[in-house]
Amino acid sequence: MPNVGAELASVPFGKMIYDMASAIARSQVALDKASIQLVKVLATTTFDYVPDVTEILQPAPPKTIPGVQDSQGNPIMITGVQVNTMVGDSFPLTLLQAGVNPTFYAFTNSTIEVKMSITSTQESSNTLSVGVSVTASADFLFASGSVSSHVNFTSSNKFSYSVTGSSSMSTTLAPVPPPKNMMPRFFLVNAMDPAKITISQS
Amino acid sequence: MAMQMYMVAFNGEFSQPLSRNVQHRVRECGGYILMVMKTGLIVALDDSKVNAVQSHPDVRLVGGVTLSPTGYAGERLRKIFAENLSKQIQIKAE
Repeated sequence: MPNVGAELASVPFGKMIYDMASAIARSQVALDKASIQLVKVLATTTFDYVPDVTEILQPAPPKTIPGVQDSQGNPIMITGVQVNTMVGDSFPLTLLQAGVNPTFYAFTNSTIEVKMSITSTQESSNTLSVGVSVTASADFLFASGSVSSHVNFTSSNKFSYSVTGSSSMSTTLAPVPPPKNMMPRFFLVNAMDPAKITISQS
Repeated sequence: MAMQMYMVAFNGEFSQPLSRNVQHRVRECGGYILMVMKTGLIVALDDSKVNAVQSHPDVRLVGGVTLSPTGYAGERLRKIFAENLSKQIQIKAE
């Protein structure tokens, strides 16, 4: 008879879990390394940042449109707005300072699923056939007779046993906020008031 | 798959042809260029296409990035990204 318990016990759960955990750990280290490398890239990538663009709106002197007149033949006066733009001095800013943060990933949920199907069938069939034949003949001087019988017995047994199994592993990778220890701190020192230092971290 | 923001760092010295080649690769992969810098690009790219961009010889690193609204220029960068994105997306009339 099939032993389902023994079949289940033969599934190498421990090794599967260890292999999966080991693969996740290796992947996590690789992902973290890539993200840390990205922190360095973002911290060294600079662009010229223009903090302010000032636009001053001033009334423009009235103008006439050449060739356009009202019904009495007077030129049409139009007013406008003159926009004076002042662009502030640019300064280099890193992407990290600007607010571009690296994405860190973490494996949040891992599942191992093992499916096993055990099928056992047994077929038995017995056939018995019994036959008796009697022949008799009688004549004037003698008589004869014969009796014959046969017994046929057939027995067959069929056994089949099959075990099929499948396993699937799945894991979820989710973006997480950057770990504090992996992100640099920003010290803002105001040269006009050096005692006042602002520390921030993305 | 989901589209995310990625930083694509160039491999080697900056040049216009190098930058253009990498931008073409991103566009071939269905991505969008959000910002171009001398050291790399910030792009919007499908997760499944990261390896295709990473395999370009002029690309050193492709890594996911997010925009922090509390950053010094986070809000302005968001507007720049949106403006550049709008130039690349074609909306078909029904």
